[in-house]
Amino acid sequence: MPPAIHPVDLVQVLRHKQLTPAIVFLTSRRACDEAIEAFERRAPVIAPERTEAIRTFLADLSKQFPSIAQHPLLPTVQHFAVAAHHAGHLPSWKIAVEELMRKGYLDAVFATTTLAAGVDFPARTVVITQSSVRKTRDFTDLTIGEIQQLAGRGGRRGKDLVGFVVVTPSPYIDLDVIAKGLTGYPEPIDSQFVVSYPMVLNLLKAYPLDQIEGILAKSFAQFQLNQRAAVHQEHLDAIHVKLAAYGTRECADWITQWQLFDLAKKRTSQRRLPRQPDSPEVAARLPFLTPGRVVKTSKGRAIVLRHYASRGKRQPMVSLFLEKGAIIECPVSHVSQIYDKIVDIEPAPHFPWCTPHSFERLVEQWEHLTARLQTLPIVIDQEATEDQELVNTLAEDFPCPTCPSRQACRRDHPAALRLRQKAQQLTKTVQALKTGLWHRFQERADILHHLGYLTPTFQLTAEGEWARLIRIDHSLLISELIRMGAFDAIEPALLAAVLASIAHDDDRPGSYLRMSPGLATMMHRVRAVAESLEPYEEPPLLRSDVAALTERWVGMPELTWPQLIRMTAMAEGDVYRLLARTLEYLSQIHTLKATHPSLADTAKIAIATMQRDVLKELP
Amino acid sequence: MNETRSLSDQDLQTMLEALPLRRLHSLAKGRIPRHFRMGKRRLIVSLLGLQGEVRQYLAAEVTRHMAEQRTAIDAQQISRKRSLPAPATARHKIKSPSTATTARSGTPPTTIEAVLEGIGVPPPTEFRPDPWQLEAVSCLSTSDVIVSAPTGSGKTYVAVEAAKRAIQQDQTVIYTSPLKALSNTKYMEFSQIFGADRVGILTGDRRDNAQAPMLIMTTEILRNLLYDAASGEIDVRLNTLGLVILDESQYLADPERGVVWEETIIFCPAQARLLLLSASIGNPDEIAAWLRSIRPVPCHLIHHRERSVPLRACYLHPNGNLTPLFRTRDLVQGRGYAFHPETLKLFAEFEARTFGRSKR
Repeated sequence: MPPAIHPVDLVQVLRHKQLTPAIVFLTSRRACDEAIEAFERRAPVIAPERTEAIRTFLADLSKQFPSIAQHPLLPTVQHFAVAAHHAGHLPSWKIAVEELMRKGYLDAVFATTTLAAGVDFPARTVVITQSSVRKTRDFTDLTIGEIQQLAGRGGRRGKDLVGFVVVTPSPYIDLDVIAKGLTGYPEPIDSQFVVSYPMVLNLLKAYPLDQIEGILAKSFAQFQLNQRAAVHQEHLDAIHVKLAAYGTRECADWITQWQLFDLAKKRTSQRRLPRQPDSPEVAARLPFLTPGRVVKTSKGRAIVLRHYASRGKRQPMVSLFLEKGAIIECPVSHVSQIYDKIVDIEPAPHFPWCTPHSFERLVEQWEHLTARLQTLPIVIDQEATEDQELVNTLAEDFPCPTCPSRQACRRDHPAALRLRQKAQQLTKTVQALKTGLWHRFQERADILHHLGYLTPTFQLTAEGEWARLIRIDHSLLISELIRMGAFDAIEPALLAAVLASIAHDDDRPGSYLRMSPGLATMMHRVRAVAESLEPYEEPPLLRSDVAALTERWVGMPELTWPQLIRMTAMAEGDVYRLLARTLEYLSQIHTLKATHPSLADTAKIAIATMQRDVLKELP
Repeated sequence: MNETRSLSDQDLQTMLEALPLRRLHSLAKGRIPRHFRMGKRRLIVSLLGLQGEVRQYLAAEVTRHMAEQRTAIDAQQISRKRSLPAPATARHKIKSPSTATTARSGTPPTTIEAVLEGIGVPPPTEFRPDPWQLEAVSCLSTSDVIVSAPTGSGKTYVAVEAAKRAIQQDQTVIYTSPLKALSNTKYMEFSQIFGADRVGILTGDRRDNAQAPMLIMTTEILRNLLYDAASGEIDVRLNTLGLVILDESQYLADPERGVVWEETIIFCPAQARLLLLSASIGNPDEIAAWLRSIRPVPCHLIHHRERSVPLRACYLHPNGNLTPLFRTRDLVQGRGYAFHPETLKLFAEFEARTFGRSKR
């Protein structure tokens, strides 16, 4: 979203308040370009001397970087002292803008937030127009670290006494996010350690297998995992202390023993009795819950109005008269105390379960209840409820029915079982945290063994020896392609094209260039291999348009950069990055000259053909 | 009791109408069967229809609730009037804006004139390094150093000075940055400082002056060098390697490339000192603790928070009106924030204009 203020007005205000030079951070490349276009129709405001100075400076610089001389934004920069700076531009243009900014020739640079992470050039003022940024697919709020990275460009050391952050709203801006970012402390960072295939091969080349676990343990990832494990371990120790407090029983593992016994008892009883009997607590209290009885519940004191069996709840229920005349129904198990006090009521079969006259009286009697009431001691007979016959039949299989510590076991079992389950869970978690990285390494090593890069004893095979030199993304796909001979006697243009499609991971739409039949067949094959490797490695996008574009650039040495750019809808900067990344991949292939001399030569030819025009300009 | 008994139907009805529906349901619980099926109007009608004692209890409860609410509002107003001194908050904790507003309202908000005051170019002074910069350089002789400092506060000075010392002692220095573009910039910068013949560059596709005492490369290239060295293909440079400078070390947390920084640090030769330069991050102490646990030499952490040029914040309204963003003039970290009242007014106006129609 572009800011609500017009870019021309924005720059005018900044100039008026002496807040220039400024960097204006915008959401998208398009917003930056549109902001610059907005200046084109205005009358120039800067002094002609400055225009002249910029012109001479850029003319000087274009001797080193010829691509600057034809840049379409050149007139705007010269007449309005503003420029756009984003990833869609060529590096040479970005360098030019940075240099102009350092020399103080520009008043404002419109930039995307990606700039903040990369090259540094400061200004007096930073203008923030957004609180969120597009990451992969959706918008996420800027983190405190990111906002400070943006704001940090404000105020040049030695050139400014004060730096400024100017916040100007655009739709969907959240001022609080920005304010927090400006005044808070940045977030802690976390390790992003992943075990990659080249890492496995290189580690196994350099170290014996038994040392590798120790090396992985040195990673920041493991350091952070250990910290988490330590917290869990503390918790676990506390649980062990609690478990130890139960002391020793007749049998060594009384929790399991009692659990099995309990289970067996339930199974047998289920077979015999269709309905569960009431629990001993409930059964013992039931005879006392006559109408008029005063009892204690979680809601305070209450008077029993009736008790009944609820079909829905499958347990005995009571209707209770509470303070302030409320009437509730609750299971008998909610009654915690029974008092030695009965008030007079006349039961009735309908709500409120007593005659209106006695209900009025009940309210009065409630008022007169004394603060302290005698509780009735209820004897709960655990043994009585147990089916003696049942226990006797189980006595053959379990020692529990006759064990002296059976009462204690019955009492402690539920809590102890819960603690032990928690302890087992924590033990597993701690174990997983401590050995997770090593297991991931072993997984990867197993896959490499399966594919034939490692021997069963995890030594590098001849194939592994050269495959470890490919230390880029999608290394597995590239080495598999080399192994199956897909690149044998390949033309340089085709090799570059395939690598470009593997290297390019941007999903900004391009255009649909026609591929040569050879490349089409090749891409089909690469796609099949990538799909077959999907369980082991995330397949790359394999876009055919970038492959076709690279094929043209390498296959047609007479093609100039502007001609290439005219073929595609991709931004210049994106094409440059694509080719630069392809060059990196090609140079990795070139390192295989010892084992694959002809392929390395092809890569070398491709590199040499690619590095021309704009790509030769910058080192 | 007498008072509640005399409460008329009319009064009770107005009181009940003022209550939220949730509250009405809790009043009806146990008094009206199937109250949960009712709406507000029917609930009030049935509550008013209660007779006798039940009705009395209901009235008493409602009056008590009203009285409680009144005292709560009073208490809130009193606490708002009282101006409390702003307590120093713990790290990472940001006060919610509302409490910050109440806490700071004792002092009058700053003005835009005050914020814009003092714009200008400082008189050219002789460059004098800050104490933390000197500390970083001197500590490198005995330990690894992590510098976490805000952008533009002079981390490069530390790198240059440390590199100078190492080169004087005939050691090799490797400087890595995350981006090729940054490597190129630094190559030009360092070539001017050290002389073109003493600086080399190694990137994915470029190899200039690779035997120079100071080498600039991307972190991936250094990682590859370290792997090659570990697997026996000894690279001469690593024997004399005395200092490894990792610029922009906050890339450690980059989802795709962070692992490269970890590998580099793990495999960094024991005789070489590590200098990690990072932008402001939240847990440099944790990274220092990690380095201490895996490196043979101690690790010194320099956590510098102050900016060398003070920063102030403004709000620019789309109509060109410039106001201070916060009540206070300078930005202070870790103390919460309170927006300037004028800014709040302008921003509310902006939101009303932008979203006004769609919200209604």
